Amino acid sequence: MIPLNLPALTEAQHPFITRLRATGEAKPWDSILVSEDEVGATFSGTNGIVALDGVKAGLLDGDIVLVQPGGFGVERLLRAGSLHNTLLVTERCDQLCVMCSQPPKKTHVDRFDLFEEACLIADPASVIGISGGEPTLYKDQLCGMIERVLSAREDLEFHVLTNGQHFDAGDIARLRNPVFRRVSWGIPLYAADAALHDQIVGKVGAFARLEESFAALLLAGARVELRTVLLTSNLDHLPALARHVAVRLRFVETWSIMQLENIGFAKNRWPALYVDHGSNFEPIAAALDDVELHGIAARLFNFPRCTVPDAYRPQAAASISDWKRKFMPPCAACRERDNCCGFFEWHPDAQALQGVSPL
Amino acid sequence: MTFLPLRTRPIRAGGALCVNDSGRFFSADGKFVDRLSADELSDVDMAFLRREGHLLDDADRLGAAAHSYAVAERLTRAGPLDYLILVPTLRCNLSCSYCQVSRAGLRQPGFDWSDATLAAVLKRLDSLPTSRIKIEFQGGEPTLRPDLMRAVIDRCARFEERQFVVCTNLHELNDDILAVFDIPELYISTSLDGDAATHGRNRTGAGTDQFLDNLRAVMDRYGPQKVAALPTIDATNPPDTEALIDSYADFGLTSIFLRPINFQGFARKRHRASREQGAVWRDYYERFVRQIIARNWADRDRVLEESYMSICLRRVFQPGADRHVDLRNPNPMGIDYIVVDHDGTVYPTDEARMLSRSGVIDLSIGTIADGWESEAREAMNRAATNQFDPACQRCAYQPYCGRDLVDDIARYGRIDLPRTETEFCRRHLHMFDFIFDLIYEDDPAVRYSLSRWLRLAGTPAALGTRLA
Repeated sequence: MIPLNLPALTEAQHPFITRLRATGEAKPWDSILVSEDEVGATFSGTNGIVALDGVKAGLLDGDIVLVQPGGFGVERLLRAGSLHNTLLVTERCDQLCVMCSQPPKKTHVDRFDLFEEACLIADPASVIGISGGEPTLYKDQLCGMIERVLSAREDLEFHVLTNGQHFDAGDIARLRNPVFRRVSWGIPLYAADAALHDQIVGKVGAFARLEESFAALLLAGARVELRTVLLTSNLDHLPALARHVAVRLRFVETWSIMQLENIGFAKNRWPALYVDHGSNFEPIAAALDDVELHGIAARLFNFPRCTVPDAYRPQAAASISDWKRKFMPPCAACRERDNCCGFFEWHPDAQALQGVSPL
Repeated sequence: MTFLPLRTRPIRAGGALCVNDSGRFFSADGKFVDRLSADELSDVDMAFLRREGHLLDDADRLGAAAHSYAVAERLTRAGPLDYLILVPTLRCNLSCSYCQVSRAGLRQPGFDWSDATLAAVLKRLDSLPTSRIKIEFQGGEPTLRPDLMRAVIDRCARFEERQFVVCTNLHELNDDILAVFDIPELYISTSLDGDAATHGRNRTGAGTDQFLDNLRAVMDRYGPQKVAALPTIDATNPPDTEALIDSYADFGLTSIFLRPINFQGFARKRHRASREQGAVWRDYYERFVRQIIARNWADRDRVLEESYMSICLRRVFQPGADRHVDLRNPNPMGIDYIVVDHDGTVYPTDEARMLSRSGVIDLSIGTIADGWESEAREAMNRAATNQFDPACQRCAYQPYCGRDLVDDIARYGRIDLPRTETEFCRRHLHMFDFIFDLIYEDDPAVRYSLSRWLRLAGTPAALGTRLA
């Protein structure tokens, strides 16, 4: 696993954003490597000195980090060269999904200003993920940040994961701003059956509220990536959901069917929630065929390629972020490895090994 | 509650096809249509219609927006010019009786691009704002002027995405021509009318062996990904379907665009019967497609297709499949693609050029040097849609269909005939009737071929929705 939080000391009194540079020419917001030895590396910039323990400076070169005083260390917000940088803007959420990989907390620490600073100095042509918790609980701040960053940086894009519980007709005019063409909203829908969806997300009325958001997003010309996590409870409902997508949600850019992550709430409920898609792929195949038939692109996330029937393999994306991905020993010999998602770091090894058959 | 309009059409095998304005469809038995017209829909009917988006609750804003979106998806959005059909020469080294372009003789002067025309074409290419380009070289026989093709292709190097198609009779191959064919983004499109005897009779005469050798040579050199062929069929004397399919399959060619003689050029006089097609042609067409279906089922290692069937089938299910410019709606003229003739004249379609050459009517819209934002173009665009045609508005197939003004002018000299009296309409009514027969036929072999033609990964248990 690639560590995202590093122990560090700083003399600064307030949190600040900086880019760590081990080599090369420095920008005003950069912190330059001043010394490095076996125990760590020290960088210096206009906001002060930051000393990191147990790291090689070269591995951090170009990372945009949040430095926090008081022994809270350094957060690597935008790692140089990574395609999977995600800003966690809040840990509060108003849904309680049965399989939540990032269980919500009651408290919120507002760090939008710092995130905005980080985005403004992001690497050229980056796609920056925004996640939570539920980012649109702070919709106004979120949209403000997006508007300012994308106006200043025409090369950047955002991908925002949201439960879609907070958009309404009042947002349409704002979201029609052309900068939002560079924002993709990743929104989960678990079933076409309202009661089942509500049960999965732990909120009565969530399905109906989501439909209102979808109407607003459609009329705003927003880009939506629809997401469905596979569960024992919705597996057999997938074909009906596919029809629902083809009828009511044609405007989505793509539909991602996602295999479960063994973390958060799903960890303790694993046997009850996890679907072994290798032994029952039919409902998934039927769903993929139906939306593709109607001209809507669909992808499989977190489905190792060897566990998917040949015909559907091109749809299985290398979806797992680099910092939390692993492969099994037999995977070393597989010709599809570079195209494969692998497994989540926290996926049970025994189960992973059982399903693997190198191609 | 809002009931969105449905148009119905009998399915030949029984029952009714119901289609809404966005092209979403289902089949029902005849009793449903009776209940619909008598306003006696059952609870089951209502639940089905609601689920399928034909019946909307007043508070259902997503349903209303989704319907508008789906209707809009059916309309062509023509982008900036990125597709040019170029005729560097009208001369040809063959003399086919059905020649649609009224080709010029091999040694006739004055039928190639002048230096000024070439310069004007290149200047236009430089001015295009797009990052992708598609160029189709037509003729005449464009390989008589590999130098002109080369000049155009070289000038396109700046485009991120490039595609070139050479429509050639493959009568002659030489090093200059092969050097052009070798360009990776270039595709070869040729004619193959069937077995050697048929092809020779229609086209090549004594040179048939030479053509077949050349076709074999380019297939060996480039493979089927780069080479396509299509037959021209004399519908009064069509070749045996099995032999026709064999002649393609033997070359490893999998796409066959089965076309009757185009009522253009020399064919207007020498093949007068090609003005319209009747039941004999339609039967022949269906037999041909069904034989392909049977072959695909028997041999899963390759997928044969009739190209126009695939195009129409995709338009039924996949709105936005508008790159086939002969079938789309509206069908904007002189916007996203143009034809540049041998003398630099610009036409909105290849058929418009053919018709002008025949002296029937001048459908030119401008010149490559001076532009084509003309009153002639606007006049055509005012009528280039089926949206407001009273016959089309009642037709279940309107969302899938298109509008071809030039075809109407070619056959009838006017564009205001009742739609159902035109060959364009009859041809497409038949095509979509046939397609919906296939969609609702409960035969795994049919579903298998349809799914391949639709480019699906799997073969769904059903392609069409049914109201039980």
